[in-house]
Amino acid sequence: MAASASEIIEGLRLEIRRLERKPSIAAVRPVPSGRAAIDALLPGGGFPRGALAELCGGPASGKTAVALAALAAAMGERGLGAFVDGRGELYPPAAAALGVDLDRLLVVRPAAGPGEPWPGLWAAEALLGSGAFEAVAVDVPVEGARGRAPGGAAVDAMLRRVRAAAEKGGSVGLWLARPEGPRIPAAVRLELAAGDRVQRGSGREAIHAA
Amino acid sequence: MPLPSGPRLVALFLPDLPLQRVLRGREAAGAARDRARSPLAIEREGRIIACDAEARARGVRPGEALAQGHAACADLEVVAVDEAEDRAALEGLAEALLALAPAVEVASPDALLLDASAAHLLGPRGEGEAALADAAVALAAGLGLRARAAVANGRAPARALARHGRGPGAGEGTLALGVLPLGALELPAPLEARLLALGLSRVGELARFPPETLAHRLGAPGLAAWRLSHGDDPSPLVPYTPERLPEERLELEAPLESSEPLLFGLKRLSDRLAARLAGRGLGATRLALTLRLDPHGVERVAIALALPTAAASRWLLVLRERLGSLRLPGAVVGATLAVAEAATAPVEQLALDERPQQLAALETVLTRLAARLGEEALFAAEPVDRHRPEGAYRTAAFGRKKEGAVKGRRRTPTSTSEPSALSVAAPEATRSRRAATSTSTATPTAAARPTRLLAHPEPLLALGEGGRLTAVRAMGRTLRVLELSPAERLAGEWWAEPFDRDYHRARVEGLGDCWIFRDAADGRLWLHGFFD
Repeated sequence: MAASASEIIEGLRLEIRRLERKPSIAAVRPVPSGRAAIDALLPGGGFPRGALAELCGGPASGKTAVALAALAAAMGERGLGAFVDGRGELYPPAAAALGVDLDRLLVVRPAAGPGEPWPGLWAAEALLGSGAFEAVAVDVPVEGARGRAPGGAAVDAMLRRVRAAAEKGGSVGLWLARPEGPRIPAAVRLELAAGDRVQRGSGREAIHAA
Repeated sequence: MPLPSGPRLVALFLPDLPLQRVLRGREAAGAARDRARSPLAIEREGRIIACDAEARARGVRPGEALAQGHAACADLEVVAVDEAEDRAALEGLAEALLALAPAVEVASPDALLLDASAAHLLGPRGEGEAALADAAVALAAGLGLRARAAVANGRAPARALARHGRGPGAGEGTLALGVLPLGALELPAPLEARLLALGLSRVGELARFPPETLAHRLGAPGLAAWRLSHGDDPSPLVPYTPERLPEERLELEAPLESSEPLLFGLKRLSDRLAARLAGRGLGATRLALTLRLDPHGVERVAIALALPTAAASRWLLVLRERLGSLRLPGAVVGATLAVAEAATAPVEQLALDERPQQLAALETVLTRLAARLGEEALFAAEPVDRHRPEGAYRTAAFGRKKEGAVKGRRRTPTSTSEPSALSVAAPEATRSRRAATSTSTATPTAAARPTRLLAHPEPLLALGEGGRLTAVRAMGRTLRVLELSPAERLAGEWWAEPFDRDYHRARVEGLGDCWIFRDAADGRLWLHGFFD
């Protein structure tokens, strides 16, 4: 059957969307974290667009506050943000207090079993790859995850897919990680600990910057 | 000679519609890809009414008896005509054509008439009508149906010209009609027989016959036939109005066990459904997919869409997700895709500041997420004026701001601050000190709320010296309390589930800044969140 006019138009729209998702020169400007001390540690003075940034720390290390402040900065006046709340712990009133416009923050809270990261990982991939959000924070319990996703991918493969989605969509990906979790394929890694000690690292060699 | 007085129409004729419909269904089911097809014929009451090119090449002819067809072609596959299905296919096309014309008439069994009175908007009179006819033929082709069109005044002349292949470029009126056989006028059979008996076999011959003689010999019907032969048919168009939301069915010749071939068929169904919906200016908000299983049973899948849309490509994204996650107890032998709910489709406007590509991307990803995770998994938080921390926000549909929503955090008028550290004494002692210090009222700042709130507070064992909390026992460990903020009392909701809690921000060794509270009801200490 020949392609109808509507199909052609839809195809062109998808192509335009794909082209516009690619980070342009103007779009590669990093997003400030909202904290000068952290910005000073980050390459370019902020979180990179089109990449994953890992915020690693314990349950009260301040990583969520940093992520929320960065979300607010990335969303600006009109942009959209998303928070994949795989642990079901995000407290939105605190997000509002940190400057996030709750009307423009999509919270995704998959109804998954304990230690079940797959729906959250899939949601993170979909959100980051969509190009519809300025920034996406991901808090998914991948530490201790066993087995494989319904599609057959293991955790590390899913994490690589999430990273690829961030590169494709051009959003800021903020991965909230626990120290005991697996390695995240992030472009930037921030280690946070209670007491305002911040470390920057990339790969295995962490640079202590506190 | 009478002047044509009927409405300006484009007639769309679908030759061999019963055959086309059957072939379209098989193409959607992917049969053509899988195996060689037998020659096919459609029969009604023991006679072949249509056959495909393969059967024709083997000597089968429409009009002959079934026995003759089988004699000519031993492996001829014969399908009985289904007039209800043919009518439904015609109505489906009429529904889609409403996108092109203000009114469409279903002229059963195999034609449609489009009101061409607004065709001048597409171009000067002739060009506009030809463009409308071309667009109608292309739309039918997009839906898998071959058609040819003609433009004329009046219903019968337009139908006759289309049926006999006199397209928009072939002229119209008496000249174009004149060369057609008398049967093209679709006259009542007795009248046609009498005219043939008079030696009139072509429309032009009837047109040249003296009308007075016809009126004298055949009465009013004869005169009406004569007027028709001049292209004069004043009867009005009877517009078709769809009464139900559309649905499309797919019958599979062989059971399918994997989703990819099924998606191929569903794409065809989606294209047809979307065109029908678009013709009515609607967009689907809910779809209902019914899969018929082998040997029996059905699987029903309800699909919610984030925004009303008639774009089949967006439906397919969701269908792919849902089919991928389905575990069916049997192979699929048929499918029905229906629009369960529709709304007026928003007109897409390309405004630079609206970033339409981002809106489309948002719609797509919301639809996919809702289909896979459930609508309840996606929300925008909306602050609520409640003192109970876990009730301080509610979930709302993302992108749909609710009226009366409370913007930002509200102050909690009943909260109080106690100046000293948390006591490990009994609740009674706590209450007595609270009474003594209740005049010290403070409003919690926004920063005093944790970024993480546990859905179920975890119990802590309080350890202290001299009435001061110095450590807690949690997770099998004893952890020192390094700092403790003054208490903030949150209480209320006496009418439902009363609560009375003293909250503290505590810096706990090994954990960091935690939000803990002592429940006034039993004096126990709980971990409720983290200042992460």
